[in-house]
Amino acid sequence: MNYSLLKLMVVLSFSCVLFSCSKESAGTESRATNTTGTNGSLSRFAISGDYLYVVSNWALYTYNIADPGNPVKTNEEVFAFNIETIYPYKNHLFIGTTTGLYIYSIANPGTPVLEGEASHARSCDPVVANDSVAFVTLKGSSRCGPATSGLYVHDVQDLFHPTLMKTIAFDNPEGLGLKGDVLYVCCNEDGLKVFNVQNPANPVEIRTVTGANFKDVIPYGNILICYVSTGIMLYDISDPSNPVAVKLISNT
Amino acid sequence: MRILFFLFIIGSLCSCWTRHRPETYRKKVIGNKAIFETLQKAKEITYENTARSVQVPGNICAIGNKIYQLEFGKGIHVIDNSIPSQAHRIGFIKVNGSSQLSIKDDHLYVNSFNDLVVLDISNNNTVTELNRLSGTFPDGMFNYWMVQPDEPGYYECTWYADSLIVGWRKDSIWNDCYKD
Repeated sequence: MNYSLLKLMVVLSFSCVLFSCSKESAGTESRATNTTGTNGSLSRFAISGDYLYVVSNWALYTYNIADPGNPVKTNEEVFAFNIETIYPYKNHLFIGTTTGLYIYSIANPGTPVLEGEASHARSCDPVVANDSVAFVTLKGSSRCGPATSGLYVHDVQDLFHPTLMKTIAFDNPEGLGLKGDVLYVCCNEDGLKVFNVQNPANPVEIRTVTGANFKDVIPYGNILICYVSTGIMLYDISDPSNPVAVKLISNT
Repeated sequence: MRILFFLFIIGSLCSCWTRHRPETYRKKVIGNKAIFETLQKAKEITYENTARSVQVPGNICAIGNKIYQLEFGKGIHVIDNSIPSQAHRIGFIKVNGSSQLSIKDDHLYVNSFNDLVVLDISNNNTVTELNRLSGTFPDGMFNYWMVQPDEPGYYECTWYADSLIVGWRKDSIWNDCYKD
């Protein structure tokens, strides 16, 4: 009698544990749809999988964040050049520096390995990429160096040997964002340029959105989030080639 | 190699950051005076449940229905983007010495001076510091706006081991350091 009661209690407590487990995993699954935040292209922090990659001016730091409350630094690599931005795409990190575009493999995520590089004249350069091309904006200035300002398109199908396919010169480029075949390039006081990049070797300018001083963009579903000098500007991009202003969240 | 690297950093700090003052003699001028706080106070992270205006905007990060925007050196604005046409700031996470952020699940990663900080942002009314890797960014380059003010001109360039700079204000200072 006592034995069977004990047995019942054990079974009950186990089923409690089981239930609580299934509840937890359901909770994590429902969150799994949108787990990692989307950063703008000017970011120096990037999360890919269970790893956080951080670039300071001269170093790339790697942290394992599988246990979020307890990040562990797994790698630290010192560079000899000025790092500007970091952009993760699939198994790669695209690192924009003042001397060129560097591509790191994170097939082994705890220890990024340099795969390829495309050097250019000294400048500042955020990057976005897809499977075949990397779009880079270069801003030549007194601070950044003498490169021709504009959009640079690199063929990165062979990651070990990225090659420059196309250059489109224009003033004041800054952050950029990609949504399918449409590329958005911030040009500070000159507005936001919208390119059709269906043929990446030949981006076609569709229009320029004006009315703000554009710094950086995040295409976020059907909304384009723009960091502008006066605040955050939201555009509806249900039609990606035709951003429609929705809201300015003013700084003041 | 590491030692060479840090010597290089220190060298570049000396060569281009601390400009020699245009005047050759030492005198008092109006310039940017550093606002110091004790280490403990400066690194304290708090959440304000009200919108705050943006002074020096920085990077943005979008997740779920929220947008987070960095305020250089000060912290992170939280924006409710549930209805884009009515999007508005709802709060502010005070993180002194911050410049970069990233988010995964309910965890926000941000630098605070030379530390990496992990914040739990699952609760809408509060923010909890989960962990802090102190001094994990040894090159210190994240914090130039903490070492120098944003604008050019004279600034106070004294340092204390037990305090950190959390801001700048106009005051009468010695013309020891000048930013181009």
